[in-house]
Amino acid sequence: MDAEPGLSDQYRMASPWPVFVALGIPIAELGIIFGLFPLSVGGLLLFGGSAAGMAFESGYAKTPWRGLFGVAVPLAALGAAFVFTAIDLPDRGIAIAAAAAILAAAGIAGTLFSPTEAPEY
Amino acid sequence: MEVNGQLALTVLMGLFLVAVAAWLARVENWRSYTPVAGGGAFGQKESYGSEEKPSGVIRWLTTVDHKDIGILYGAYGLTAFAVGGLMVVVMRIELIDPGMSLISNTFYNSLMTSHGITMLFLFGTPIIAAFANYLVPLLIGADDMAFPRINAIAFWLLPPAALLIWAGFFPLPNVIPAQTAWTMYTPLSAGAGAGNQANAGVDLMLLGLHLSGVSATMGSINFIATIFTERGDDVSWANLDIFSWTILTQSGLILFAFPLLGSAMVMLLFDRNFGTTFFAGEGGAILWQHLFWFFGHPEVYILVLPPMGIVSYVIPRFSGRRLFGFKFVVYSTLAIGVLSFGVWAHHMFATGMDPRLRASFMAVSLAIAIPSAVKTFNWITTMWNGRVRLTTPMLFCVGFVSNFIIGGVTGVFLASIPIDLVLHDTYYVVGHFHYIVMGAIAFAGFAGLYYWFPLYTGRMYQKTLGKAHFWLSMIGTNVTFFAMILLGYGGMPRRYATFLPQFATLHQVATVGALLLLIGQIIFVWNFVQSWLEGPEVEDGDPWNLRDSGLYTAEWDWYDKKLETAIADGGETDDAAEPMLTDGGDVDDAADE
Amino acid sequence: MANKIFDRDTLLDLTVNVVPLFIMAFFVVAFAVFSPFGIDPLASSIQFGLLAVPFVLLAILTYFAGKAVAGAELRGEVYLPGQAGVRGAEPLEETEHGEAELDAGTSTAAVEGEADERDAADESAASEEETTDEADAGDTNADDDAETEAADDATDDEAN
Repeated sequence: MDAEPGLSDQYRMASPWPVFVALGIPIAELGIIFGLFPLSVGGLLLFGGSAAGMAFESGYAKTPWRGLFGVAVPLAALGAAFVFTAIDLPDRGIAIAAAAAILAAAGIAGTLFSPTEAPEY
Repeated sequence: MEVNGQLALTVLMGLFLVAVAAWLARVENWRSYTPVAGGGAFGQKESYGSEEKPSGVIRWLTTVDHKDIGILYGAYGLTAFAVGGLMVVVMRIELIDPGMSLISNTFYNSLMTSHGITMLFLFGTPIIAAFANYLVPLLIGADDMAFPRINAIAFWLLPPAALLIWAGFFPLPNVIPAQTAWTMYTPLSAGAGAGNQANAGVDLMLLGLHLSGVSATMGSINFIATIFTERGDDVSWANLDIFSWTILTQSGLILFAFPLLGSAMVMLLFDRNFGTTFFAGEGGAILWQHLFWFFGHPEVYILVLPPMGIVSYVIPRFSGRRLFGFKFVVYSTLAIGVLSFGVWAHHMFATGMDPRLRASFMAVSLAIAIPSAVKTFNWITTMWNGRVRLTTPMLFCVGFVSNFIIGGVTGVFLASIPIDLVLHDTYYVVGHFHYIVMGAIAFAGFAGLYYWFPLYTGRMYQKTLGKAHFWLSMIGTNVTFFAMILLGYGGMPRRYATFLPQFATLHQVATVGALLLLIGQIIFVWNFVQSWLEGPEVEDGDPWNLRDSGLYTAEWDWYDKKLETAIADGGETDDAAEPMLTDGGDVDDAADE
Repeated sequence: MANKIFDRDTLLDLTVNVVPLFIMAFFVVAFAVFSPFGIDPLASSIQFGLLAVPFVLLAILTYFAGKAVAGAELRGEVYLPGQAGVRGAEPLEETEHGEAELDAGTSTAAVEGEADERDAADESAASEEETTDEADAGDTNADDDAETEAADDATDDEAN
């Protein structure tokens, strides 16, 4: 965690991501409980994107893109569970799966098209 | 109509996400070109004044500094304390009169539910996290928490949690506040029957509670990792301070208790919304109680152990002596931690469970009284023949011990099955646990706030106001809650907005006590805010003269170092790590507030 | 090893947790001897389990906590709790297991009953003095495990 040389010392003191990770979770929960498709998807995107961004920023991942897959895969599994198992909540499952798909797509796009190793943000 | 609503929501959500992305891009840019996060705001503060405020806010939104997060937790906890306190003032005023006079019975139930949840989850846990975040890294010689970003996430989950828990009170269409009491017993909380608790307000409250549980769990993992791995070279298990010990134990409890609550609440949400039947029927109701109290009793110790740590930490400083039997306190803290998971069903003696099980729960409940009594003994013995200085934090600590004895002894009686069956669900129970949560936990919180006030504000509070706050709180607490114990002996049941006229006098006495408490807390807020803004600045790192008695500790030494570097002001770089910390955090802080 | 760590003072400190253990053990015996509600396979096994599980867990935790604390005392300098990080902090003069906390230092409050404890503390302090005085934690924290090496390496310790 610590002892990263140079600028990272300052980066340790401030990070824009946590507040959005924290915001993504309740939005997604609200959306899933009350069956509000846009909130479910949007909240999960916010959560997944911020989590990936944070993993990148703190040096756990070299790029944010694979982190997006890392979020997308469990979400896809969860969405599939909602649709295909005895839980049987297809609408909500599709919302979760949709969020997973968008995150994965963003991950693919980022991997393919990002100009340098260090992405713009 | 339906489709339009969905469309509008989609557009709003999309706009929001785009705005977030844009803002993130901007902030990241801003950060790469600004040498020190927040430093720019500080440097330009004098010349630009209020124009620099946005970057001041961004600093608080983006901080991962444990001290900033501690301040945020503290501000949050005190805000919640004010909200929960004002709620109960309304309730106590309603209870002056036996009938329904000021507010409706349903609104009383709503306030009662929210008061409990607010005080336990939005005030109690966060205010402890405030102290822990600010102090534990300083005390154990760590640079920061082990996972600073997780720390920030844990905090930022709390404001949404509060909004969801209080959602029923906001003017939202078709949403009413939950009236389930903080225990959320099914079938009422499952929305069954003819009541109004199938309302979305209850779902929102459960979600909010779930979030606060996630937050507490993240925080606890962070504390465990920090205390195990980030200790300074000289800080071994043999000289770890008592506050960190209690935080470590508390974090262990949180780690085992809160995920269970979270799971139980997800099950309850499924029961309410998706037609599952986890908690349906008689067995389901008991299942909920078991799950809830398997969390709920450790929660009691989650709330009380760190305050005990604060008291164990502060009392020796003003007694001029080391803590008597330091290791007794440490080991008994650990004992409480383990045993607290073995007593949960003493909340359920009246449910008609098998008498054999009941007897076992009683036995462990009696056993857990020993470690608590050991601590009380140690606190008293520490003060015995010491050079006691009755400063405000010390007064609150002494008040803690006094109230804890009353609250604890009444609790031992409740742990005994025959007595519990008589007193169950009466005001005796209310009086008992308020002696602990208000008389002890909140008192220790105040002790900590006053004791470390110079540390986090750089200023000193006003002594006279502090003492007025203490005495009003002490008298108010005892008047209010002793009246409740007497009401319980008289048979007054809990949770009712109306009561038989024979209880009126004692209820009025309790209300007078509550109003005393209110006045005391108003004084506290005044003192706190005014002293933070205008109090006399603390000149050295030893405002309590601890060096004289050899009881100086690491956090004050850190503060002393900070003062030295701040005064030198020559841009010296010999101690590169420290100015960095202070720049981002506290120097700015002092200018900001 | 175990004998060395769990000397008399440490055991004395741990008595605080023996009391609740004793209470639970007492009730196990009591319920076994005297069972007013009869014996039922399921209910009785839960009944005893509810006492036995906390008993075992508490015993284990107490053992490991005692080992960690007493072991750390042997390995490194012992400061007053919360003082290890203070600049120029002086470690406690002797390894005073029980005594350190009991002694008020400046006050005249000699606690009654301390006298006999002091004897015990002196015995062990005599043997441990060498180890702790020489082992400067600041110099030797790299090798946590080897306490004897630590003592050898750190002969040139200064007051930190």
